[in-house]
Amino acid sequence: MDWGKTKFFLGEVFRNFTRNASMQATAIGTVAVTIVLLGSFLYVRASIAHIGSDMLSQITASVYMSTDATPAQVEAVRTALAKNPRISTAQFVSKAQGLKELRERMKGQIDMQILTENPLPDMFRVHARNPQDVPIIAHAIAKLKGVHEVDYQQDVVARLLQVAEVARKAGVAVIALFVLVAGIIISNTIRLTVFARRREISIMQLVGATNMYIRMPFICEGLLDGILGAFVAIGLLAIAHGTLVPKLTSALPWVQMNVVQVDLSSLVLQLLAVGGAVGVIASWISVGRYLRT
Amino acid sequence: MISLRGVSLVYPNGVRAIDGIDLQIGKGDFVFLVGHSGTGKSSLLRLLYREMTPTAGEITVDGIRVDRLKRGRIPALRRHLGVVFQDYKLLTDKTVWENVAYALQVTGAHTKDVMRQVPRCLDMVGLSHKSRMYPGELSGGEQQRAAIARALVNNPKILLCDEPTGNLDPQNTTEIMELLGRINLKGTTVVVATHNQAVVDRMRRRVVRLENGRISTDEERGYYFLGLGQDQILSG
Repeated sequence: MDWGKTKFFLGEVFRNFTRNASMQATAIGTVAVTIVLLGSFLYVRASIAHIGSDMLSQITASVYMSTDATPAQVEAVRTALAKNPRISTAQFVSKAQGLKELRERMKGQIDMQILTENPLPDMFRVHARNPQDVPIIAHAIAKLKGVHEVDYQQDVVARLLQVAEVARKAGVAVIALFVLVAGIIISNTIRLTVFARRREISIMQLVGATNMYIRMPFICEGLLDGILGAFVAIGLLAIAHGTLVPKLTSALPWVQMNVVQVDLSSLVLQLLAVGGAVGVIASWISVGRYLRT
Repeated sequence: MISLRGVSLVYPNGVRAIDGIDLQIGKGDFVFLVGHSGTGKSSLLRLLYREMTPTAGEITVDGIRVDRLKRGRIPALRRHLGVVFQDYKLLTDKTVWENVAYALQVTGAHTKDVMRQVPRCLDMVGLSHKSRMYPGELSGGEQQRAAIARALVNNPKILLCDEPTGNLDPQNTTEIMELLGRINLKGTTVVVATHNQAVVDRMRRRVVRLENGRISTDEERGYYFLGLGQDQILSG
């Protein structure tokens, strides 16, 4: 490694970065604002996704056997459930146990003495490994002999899955928009600094500097803009997270702002990566446009 | 060293800057390009260092087919050439030393080479004592000498000069031309585009005269005006 070369290069980057300090500050600030929005959005999305998957994971399929199902059929269903890879647990609830549970649930509401015989069928309570598989499981089980009906709150599941899908698509669109905005801002800043240094660039080209060499300082500049912007944003988000979330959870206890469930460190890394990548790509494009002329 | 065959350059606005030029310049030659403003002197030089691509024809510079040169190979060509301009094109926020070193540093040269080449070139142009000064603190002649030092720092075989004395007084003009003459003596091919009559007439070198994008005359030991020295014009 030639230390003189490195020093020269770093000097060039530093000089360019500090020469347009106010412009860099503007770029960093705007990128920070964009990334704050992006970060809060990602956070809320993660929370919502968590609430949604919480609700979904509570959904069970109830497999009701026919009242005239033979013990062999019940046994066959039990093995089928145990073998199905999509099912995590299948709990057998016999007629008698079902009645007992019903009595407990209805205690003091309805006089259960009116029941002279047990009208309940045998049933299985089935948990899916993946909540999205519940409809598939239900469909498969319903075909088995001796199964009367599979009930899994069809409309709730359908609605939740639909909401999750819309949220996912909207999320991708919103994220793309934020990234685009940050990219345009950095790209414009770099274009201004490129324009301010066009004389220097033309001289560099004249003395035989490669385009890659000319590009590097600007790429570094974009990278710095993006990463510094992301750092500022993460700082702001951390402050907001520290002050707002406890207040929110105490004001709205029913909103499960399950802080622990949102992976904060991966969120921080994501935002840094987005900032850096956007900076590099944006500056690459705006310098490239200049070098081609 | 430099060879043009049937070279034409038409600008996008339809102007024919160069119109079918054939020209051979040998190794170690010293050539003046003369002609009125807008006859294609600068365009011709720009074609040589691939600032522009010819519309037609073949250009070879130091064995490189410039007209077919891929964009990515342009830096390699430029490192074989030194180019000097009327307006010096120095970086005003760098010292003379830094300006000269810059041309080496941007090519990724080793610090060792920078430390060896820069003093050599500054010494050649006689600016060693002002290496720490900024271009703004120098006279026009000194700035042009700094620019020449920068053009030479890559050890080019060819030096292209576009009106190198255009902004200089007669005294500095003489000094710059003497410097170019010395550089030529060391074996560097020098091409100077100028409309400074005195310079051309004093040096008595090869003169290629351009008119409307074509070569009208090409004399081995020419004058600025066709076949006439300054004294002859005055007396005649």
